[in-house]
Amino acid sequence: MSVDLRGIARPLGIGVVALIVEYLLLGTQQFANAMTLGAIYALIALGYTMVYGIVELINFAHGDIFMVGSFLAMWIMTTIFGLTGPVTNLLNLVGLLAIVMLATMVGMGVIGMFIERVAYRPLRHAPRLAPLITAIGVSFILQNVIASLFGPSPVNFPQIVPADKFAILGGRIAYLNLFIVIMAIVLMVALQIFVGRTRLGRAMRSTAQDREAAELMGVDINQTIAITFFIAAALAGAGGMVQGLYAGSIKFDLGFFVGLKAFTAAVLGGIGNTTGAAIGGFVIAFVEVYATVLGYTQWSEVAVFSVLILVLVFRPSGLLGQQLGERA
Amino acid sequence: MTAVSLPQAPSAWQRFRSTSRSHRSITILVGWALIAVILPVIVMIPPLSTFQPESLWIDGFANAGVFILLAMGLNVVVGLAGLLDLGYAAFFAIGSYVYAFGASPFTATQIPFWPMLLVGAVIAATLGLLLGAPTLRLRGDYLAIVTLGFGEIVPAIFLNASDLTKGTNGIGGIYKPELFGFKFTLENPVPYYVTMIGILAVTMILLYRLQASRLGRAWMAIREDELAAASSGINTITTKLLAFALGASTAGLAGVFATSKLTFVGPGQFGFQVSFTVLAMVVLGGMGNIWGVATGAFVIYTIQAVVLKELNQFFQALHVPILQSIDFVQYQYLLYGVALVAMMLLRPEGLFPSSRRREELHAASDEVGEVPPPTEALDQ
Amino acid sequence: MKYGRLGALGVGAVLIFAACSSTATTAPAASTGGGASTAPASTAPGGSVGAVGSPGAWCVGGTVKIGTELPMSGGETANGVPTANGVKLLIAQLNAKGGVLGCKLDINVQDDALNGVHDPQTGAKNMQTLVADAAVIGVVGPFNSGVAKAEIPISNGAGLLQCSPANTNNGVTQPPEGDQYRSAHPDKIAYIRTASPDSIQGPSAADYLYKDLGKTTVYVIDDTETFGVGVGDSFVAEFKKLGGTVVKRDSAPKSTTDYTPLFTAAAALNPQGVYLAGTTPTGMGLALKQGRTVAGLETIPFVGPDGVADLGPGGTQGATITIAGAAAANVYGTVGSAHDLKDNTFVPAYTAMFGGAPGAYSSGAYACAQIIVASLTKAAATATDLASAREGVRANAVNSANTFDTALGSLSFDKYGDNTKPFISFYKTDMTLAGGKGDWTFVKQESFTDPNAGPAGSAAPSSSP
Repeated sequence: MSVDLRGIARPLGIGVVALIVEYLLLGTQQFANAMTLGAIYALIALGYTMVYGIVELINFAHGDIFMVGSFLAMWIMTTIFGLTGPVTNLLNLVGLLAIVMLATMVGMGVIGMFIERVAYRPLRHAPRLAPLITAIGVSFILQNVIASLFGPSPVNFPQIVPADKFAILGGRIAYLNLFIVIMAIVLMVALQIFVGRTRLGRAMRSTAQDREAAELMGVDINQTIAITFFIAAALAGAGGMVQGLYAGSIKFDLGFFVGLKAFTAAVLGGIGNTTGAAIGGFVIAFVEVYATVLGYTQWSEVAVFSVLILVLVFRPSGLLGQQLGERA
Repeated sequence: MTAVSLPQAPSAWQRFRSTSRSHRSITILVGWALIAVILPVIVMIPPLSTFQPESLWIDGFANAGVFILLAMGLNVVVGLAGLLDLGYAAFFAIGSYVYAFGASPFTATQIPFWPMLLVGAVIAATLGLLLGAPTLRLRGDYLAIVTLGFGEIVPAIFLNASDLTKGTNGIGGIYKPELFGFKFTLENPVPYYVTMIGILAVTMILLYRLQASRLGRAWMAIREDELAAASSGINTITTKLLAFALGASTAGLAGVFATSKLTFVGPGQFGFQVSFTVLAMVVLGGMGNIWGVATGAFVIYTIQAVVLKELNQFFQALHVPILQSIDFVQYQYLLYGVALVAMMLLRPEGLFPSSRRREELHAASDEVGEVPPPTEALDQ
Repeated sequence: MKYGRLGALGVGAVLIFAACSSTATTAPAASTGGGASTAPASTAPGGSVGAVGSPGAWCVGGTVKIGTELPMSGGETANGVPTANGVKLLIAQLNAKGGVLGCKLDINVQDDALNGVHDPQTGAKNMQTLVADAAVIGVVGPFNSGVAKAEIPISNGAGLLQCSPANTNNGVTQPPEGDQYRSAHPDKIAYIRTASPDSIQGPSAADYLYKDLGKTTVYVIDDTETFGVGVGDSFVAEFKKLGGTVVKRDSAPKSTTDYTPLFTAAAALNPQGVYLAGTTPTGMGLALKQGRTVAGLETIPFVGPDGVADLGPGGTQGATITIAGAAAANVYGTVGSAHDLKDNTFVPAYTAMFGGAPGAYSSGAYACAQIIVASLTKAAATATDLASAREGVRANAVNSANTFDTALGSLSFDKYGDNTKPFISFYKTDMTLAGGKGDWTFVKQESFTDPNAGPAGSAAPSSSP
């Protein structure tokens, strides 16, 4: 596993340097904002990159899976637990968050697997743009199912985490921000361990590398791909839940643009590379927040995509992507 | 299939096929002339005639023509050259704004419509080259995301550079075309319809000629195997750039026409939805097949603009109480999504796959002919 | 499914309407019972018409239609559907009384959303469709000013009246831009609007924040939409003219999912107030909610136009106060119509029929439909066929000599189609109302003389409703 160490050392170095630069440019308060936004982007970008890595599909429905995740979490909180306001007992709060997150992740995972089974698997041997079109079809379906269930207006998300803040380095940061960033990092580390150290993770990596060879070695391709979709959707579900907690109101079309940015993050980091996707998420969030700090909010989207184009012109496979060479 | 070589008398269809292959341009001209005459006649026959008056049908056909044009242009990029472009609406936007700048009270200039068609196409093509030059060495989906980014950037620039473009307000009062003193009006869609048919016929002839030319074969070679194409002496960068520029110019043309008809342009009209809709038209029609793509565009436009909007009237007419009580307009995108998934599952190669591709698909070991992922090649 | 109950609810609504009706309404109490009965016609608002026994020759097939041209699907359902419901309410009420002069009313609903977003091209196509439907005598819509700019050339060319309850962009009507859209028949305008233009609503909010609330520094954020930018620009211009300072102006598209960085940057400049230039569904609801969490902005006044001040009480789905929750405290809003002239039967009738609170422009759409009906009543005497009825409706509606009693109060329109006596009403939130969920309370109203002029001396704040 020495390869793993080399693979982690470089991104770690890039990450630390980037964080320091980011902190210096933004200051404490905006740094916290950017990290929170980045954590959410990263959780979604991971799903994009995993799915792309294994079936080479730009899963345009992934942003909407994130959105459905936030609605599922909202439904679990309000309908099952009857929550409407802050939960002040710390033990209860942690327990509730854990249960809701677990339920959301499992629920979304199942939905993700179902979508793969119905809309993508039958097209695995079809021309490659066919599943791209069904992905967007699924995106339409998810948005409009949610719009007809919960209405097209923004919907309240119960703010169960109290809005308390703590002072640090001249800023005042909400505990919620800290929770979101820590939770995202925990999930990402867990994912790295799963992909790198477990049998299923090895099956995923080998399938991504060479599907037929993996099959010959006894890997169940269908099962492996289904599990990839499960994990991707579960991570998006977790992202959806924290987005709801953070913003306090969710809307059925929330997923599309967040998905677009997260996909940009995945490509920026080097699509197929999970560490790259996470870093990409934080980079995109940084660019957006920095544009705001400079007073160019309306140009933030342009800035994000310009950074992407510039990075790709000089590093055609993204920040951490392997230089694939001409594999035709 | 080559009927000419058969000794016995070829069937009418075979004779038609062989004639149409050897005289493609004339066939296309005759084909569009027939379409131009037949469409207005068909819509005078019930039940179509009871649905809406003829002038509305004609108007709708002219609007559909814009999307047919867009789909034919994107087909060059995606279907022939195999480059996935997810930001095609950007060039549509550029064409539209070029005409708005050239012929509106906002800029106080009035350049006639006909030269503007060319100007719009050329400017869109130039910007296509500018985008393509640095990015076309990207492979597959990296190119796709760059084009997607471009597709987001261009409308954002039109939105934010409000001193130059009137920003979110959009530019209105754009001048309508004139021909030898004859003024086009919004009340009479026929001149727009005739113009559109003319543009479609000419564009299609040019595209067929290009497809059969050395350049067209080079595109297909790149699509099939870029490495092999390069090693057989094709300059892949120039060839790809030309595909990109040609696709862009067609979108620019479509933009000029659409804006002259709508007389208004705003930055909100060119979102990802437009790029995606055109891509769906190309894929559904059958990538690489020009007539197929045109049909796909017509089908999807009809679904979006007519079928989905008129679902309520349709179900009211069925007199089934349960269906009458549902407001289908609310569920139109749900149904659209289901239709997209269903159509792709049923016809993964599109409604009319190009004959070349069909041959490829049935040649057992071959790759399907898009930007080729190695894993899929092995799966065949 | 919602409209399945329409019939039953419509009757109930009409009963309530009739019970509460005290002010003069436009509803012409035409012949009851069968269409061809001998019942005499009644007086119509703004002038009486001669008795008409049976529907005139203009009433082909016993029905005429009011068109609606609004975004009805996707992300803009919340804009279009409640607005169209305003028209449906009036039609149900009138039909329950036998229609207009014995002629039943029907509706032709068009949806200008394409892939869920309002689209000028689709709007233009819809306008052509409505023009081609000979039974349509007038159109309520569109919702978005950008769509209007593609539609007015069509309605103007065809002479079909369009009444928009929601367009506020100055350029839609006011010259020189407005002239471009009326070039087919500059002398026969076919477009009127009930909403006060941005050039009135933005400045009155600036006046209120500066003079009444005494705040001299403000942060302005808009949603990049036509309405938000227009009202934001005119707010900024007026606030600066008064001597105030705009510490920062941001534009954040409705796709923004996190407004915290924006407000964090703005809070560093210590604004005393915030102007939310936009609407709640296009992000201003979320902006309000997240803006309040930023240190320094917790209690300062937030002011918004009628896209934010939707007047929906807390708990109503999609209402600003519902979305913002506790953050809605100390929020002020302007609404482009008179408060105390409002028909107080409208809201209960709407709620009874549709089961929810009306949208911000439902009453405007209702008023537009009232104007169309009143114009038809005036035109009926001379109309001989559908075409002359349509032209009669147009001519009467745009005639500045005519005044219409509507749910928004008394309205008449100038030569550009703008309201000649626009009102701005001011509201603020009171979180103790609606059982602790909060609601809007009326503060005061001002009247203006002309869309292009400034305030004509503000009226004394009237007493609370």
